[in-house]
Amino acid sequence: MTNMNAPEEKSAGILTGKYIGQRVHRKEDPRLLTGHGQFVDDVSVPGQLHVAFTRSPVARASIVSISSDYAREVPGVHAIYTQQDLADFNVDMISFFLASPDVKTTPLADGRVAYVGEPVVMVIADSRAIAEDAASLVEVEYAEETPLITIDDARHGAPVHPGREDNIAAQMGEEEIDEDLEALLQAAPHLVTHKVVHQRISQSPMETRGVLADPEGPKELTLYITCQSPHMVERWTSLALGKPDMAIRVIAKDVGGGFGLKNHPWKEEVAVILAALKFRRPLKWIEDRYENLIGANQAREQEMTLQVALDNDGKLLASHGDYSCNNGAFPQLSECNIAVHMFVWGAYKMPAYGFLTRGWYTNTVGYAAYRGPWAMESLVRETALDVAARRLGIDPIEIRRKNLVTLSEQPTESCMQIPLEDVTPAECLEKLLGYFDVDAFRREQAEAREQGRYLGLGIAAYIEPTGSAGAIATMTGELAQVRIEPTGKVTATMSTHSQGHGTQTTMAQIFADRLGVSYEDVSVFEGDSSRGGFSPGAAGSRQGVIAGGAAILAADKLAEKVRTLAAHLLQVEAAAIAIDAGQISVAGNPDKSISLGELANIAYGEPDRLPPGMESGLEAQHRYQPPPMTFASAANACVVEVDRDTGFVKIQRWISSEDCGTPLNPAVVEGQVSGGLAQAIGMVLLEEVGFDERGNPTAATYKDYMMPAISDIPTFEFVHANTPSQSVGGMRGVGEGGAIIGAPTLVNAIADALAPFGEVEVNLPLTPAKLLSVMEGRDLTPPKVVAPVAVEPVAPAPVAEPVPAADATPAGPVVIDGDWKMILSTPMGPQEMQGHFETSGDNLSGYLSSPEGQMEFTGSVVNGNNLVFDLKVTKPMKITLKYNLLIDGDKISGKCKMGIFGSAKLTGERL
Amino acid sequence: MKPAPFDYYAPATISEACQLLSEASGGATVIAGGQTLMPLLNLRMSQPFILVDINNTAEMKGISAVDGGIRIGPATRQYEVLESELLVERLPLLVEAVRHVGHHQTRNRGTVGGSIALGEPAAELPACAVALGATIDIASVRGTRQVPASEFYLGPFMTVLEPDELVTGITFPAWPAGHLPLFSELAQRPGDFALVGVVGALALEAGKISRAGIAWMAMGPTPLKATAAEQLLLGKSLAEIDPQAVAEAAVAETAPFDDKRTSAEYRRTVGARLLARALRELTAQGEAA
Repeated sequence: MTNMNAPEEKSAGILTGKYIGQRVHRKEDPRLLTGHGQFVDDVSVPGQLHVAFTRSPVARASIVSISSDYAREVPGVHAIYTQQDLADFNVDMISFFLASPDVKTTPLADGRVAYVGEPVVMVIADSRAIAEDAASLVEVEYAEETPLITIDDARHGAPVHPGREDNIAAQMGEEEIDEDLEALLQAAPHLVTHKVVHQRISQSPMETRGVLADPEGPKELTLYITCQSPHMVERWTSLALGKPDMAIRVIAKDVGGGFGLKNHPWKEEVAVILAALKFRRPLKWIEDRYENLIGANQAREQEMTLQVALDNDGKLLASHGDYSCNNGAFPQLSECNIAVHMFVWGAYKMPAYGFLTRGWYTNTVGYAAYRGPWAMESLVRETALDVAARRLGIDPIEIRRKNLVTLSEQPTESCMQIPLEDVTPAECLEKLLGYFDVDAFRREQAEAREQGRYLGLGIAAYIEPTGSAGAIATMTGELAQVRIEPTGKVTATMSTHSQGHGTQTTMAQIFADRLGVSYEDVSVFEGDSSRGGFSPGAAGSRQGVIAGGAAILAADKLAEKVRTLAAHLLQVEAAAIAIDAGQISVAGNPDKSISLGELANIAYGEPDRLPPGMESGLEAQHRYQPPPMTFASAANACVVEVDRDTGFVKIQRWISSEDCGTPLNPAVVEGQVSGGLAQAIGMVLLEEVGFDERGNPTAATYKDYMMPAISDIPTFEFVHANTPSQSVGGMRGVGEGGAIIGAPTLVNAIADALAPFGEVEVNLPLTPAKLLSVMEGRDLTPPKVVAPVAVEPVAPAPVAEPVPAADATPAGPVVIDGDWKMILSTPMGPQEMQGHFETSGDNLSGYLSSPEGQMEFTGSVVNGNNLVFDLKVTKPMKITLKYNLLIDGDKISGKCKMGIFGSAKLTGERL
Repeated sequence: MKPAPFDYYAPATISEACQLLSEASGGATVIAGGQTLMPLLNLRMSQPFILVDINNTAEMKGISAVDGGIRIGPATRQYEVLESELLVERLPLLVEAVRHVGHHQTRNRGTVGGSIALGEPAAELPACAVALGATIDIASVRGTRQVPASEFYLGPFMTVLEPDELVTGITFPAWPAGHLPLFSELAQRPGDFALVGVVGALALEAGKISRAGIAWMAMGPTPLKATAAEQLLLGKSLAEIDPQAVAEAAVAETAPFDDKRTSAEYRRTVGARLLARALRELTAQGEAA
């Protein structure tokens, strides 16, 4: 992957400076801590009206009738819309990767409902209270059907979406384990089969979703919306609405947390935007917590079974993973999480690995990302390694030392052909072990056990791709625009966006250092799509890495201009110019000096004094295109005590040893890691979105959805194990690491504590009842939800079109030549392309074309109706795509083997 | 404003409040601290026609020594319990219990009467009222009545209060100086309602337990008085207590339930351990003294 896009400059090592690397106070804090943050609900515009939704009380039904007669009579109600009223917009609910959804997705329910909480009707009224009054008077009659709630329901139940063959939303990998791999697994001295069940999680941002859509005439639209990138929302809205001629401005000054939920608008936000355009008034909708917990998309709810083969010394031999995810009814992307497999053994010496990964449609609210979306890979691997270590009688640290790829063994490639050049989990682990005395802990643990107290130590290591750019349309570089104002102050606008990330602070630190001004003199602006340029913002742990590089390069360009101008004015060599604290001086010539403000005044106001050809003003910008991926690594340790009498877990210590490359601001880094670890603690011990057998959410308020509170979080200890990355500035992403490595660290600590009693099933959350059950050897957990009882017959599954068998011979002559419209189900969503085939005897040639370009192939062979050909691609990485297609009349179908991504289905028809 | 429409009254006296409740014929809800009610109103899980705000009703506030005990006005804020020297000295159990009711912020608004009248079976204050033998003072236009806390609760969030009735006071009987409070609660997060918990008080006379009050949280549809366990304790010195036997007797009188968080069997198992642990600690205190 590294040869795809050569980085513009190489990192020079860990950066430090007067500000970079220092714990400077955050620029955001004075306004946030004095209550002057600006969140969506803080914004009001003249003439705004309010929206409330009537939501489905049932998980699966067809809508028989909707009556708004009573609702319309409520004084203060302006309009009541159903999907019919919004249908003219024909909105395309695209994914984060800009792909159209696999299943028809509409802002309001279109004839059917598929989850409890689905918005069916929207009311526009003078106030939110009036809108809610009226929404409760809307009468909707439903013909209820038996819903599918769990992954297991989805495997066997009638398709959630009529017209589909089954409930598989997405699938990658091979359904059968490869024979060679199977042989390796079976022949191994030890085969550990380890299953992890991860509960469903609500992203639960402190600021719920919300939007104020302000149409300014037919051609302009301003959106105040809580989001992870105003630029992404602008791009998404423009494409989804199909309105390229509309000027859309998106503003989100402050955001109370996104965590993946706010990458782009979804049903409710889109309904509000469309309704505002239709009704031509500004409309505001602020999600309440009940709506957020039942109606906002959710995350996780995954199961994974990992088989790990080892030799007697604990050396890894082979592995297979089988993963399923509950996508709900209308996921923000049809998720089957290929990243789970790409990185499951990413940093380990694993000779052979195979996988199957599937996402399932169910009658629950849809899937959206959550900080560390592929976190399952680390959870299942790191907990499986501990199970293996216990079974083999090896120390869990030793099993990692034996198998982790060390820095001295790089460059190399992971078993998924991912190039590893500078990952450091092994080095992070050693640094952690240098800080934490494991032997002393083991002695304390042994003594405690004699007293009937159960202490446990959990260790986990991981790597994570951060700052990804260049391979996927929306994962771009980042833009920094900086200017020295005529006053000498520095103003920058960035493509970044903060949800509490402190980017205004870290970017200002960079500008101050690189331009030689004081931190106080730098102002950074973001959070408005009319400033800066496109980036997906807070997505994929990227901003420090990429925007940091952009800020360095933009500032360096500007500093160079300052030096050139100063040298010209002072009549010295540019190399002799130094800028510090806003003052320009000349080495060895203390008489010659000029302030940055004086220089700026000349640059803007006295163009005659500039060198010939120099652009007036002091402005520069840079869009930084980093290496395609920058890996972050970490090792964590956690000590717990599990109360023998109650099953309660007390976290005694937690140490993070992470490699974030250059820490722009260690306090911001630690804040990011701490927040992620807090989320992990919530996932392991407390949080759970549940449903009853009818699909009703069982945690609809914060009384039942238990977020970790400050009292549940220990004081984290930090051992920074930083090595510079290859990106400019040497940063590595830290946005998601804590949320990823936290869960296996804590699970391993609990399992270690309870090892004398047996293995702990990793079925999250690990409640006191589950843990006490392990220690007592009897079931103290509440009864499981019983199987759903059919109230009415299930709608008969639509008859699927027969899939042509591989050896099927069509009756008539096969016509191959010509153009075909084909859809490939890729991990990024369905990809539409046009195929052109030409035959000459048995020889086949042609091309596939898509918006990304055209790829030709020649020298392939036709066998009857069977087309087999290979295409070599370089994006998102170098792989060979092996197509195996069958033509049946005017239909085409088959598979494409995509190297490490496994196989994807292809369907299509003649054009 | 987000709640469904309601009429709002803020009576200055108990009799005005009772009049309003009477005229509302069941359509009124009383609001004091609003720490439970306000979210319910905003989420429209509660939609009263009339809201009777007792925050301006002076007679409803304050902690005072009364004949034979201590009376707490229902509109007294929970934090005031923590700051009451009278309670610290005379009813330390209440002070300990309030530390576990919600958080600093909610205790600044939340009231003692609100917690008592809500009837959450996993709450701390109802269990304390039952354990300590409190009486709930109730008024309506029809008159006043006093109901022992042990008879006040009918089921989860259900009490003997009629729709036109108002809690006007919680009167705790005097407990001998130096009596021992007992508090042991397991909540998944500090400040949450109990997963299971037990509260109580033991008074000693000449080294023997002369009075015992013990009640459970989250071990049935209401706070439950552990009468058999109390009997086992009476007349014994601290050293003579058999914590295990008392705990088992106390659990035998309960009717816990399975819910999303845990099972009835967990509650029984752990409840017994909590009580036994708390009694052992008291015994140890006794030995140390």
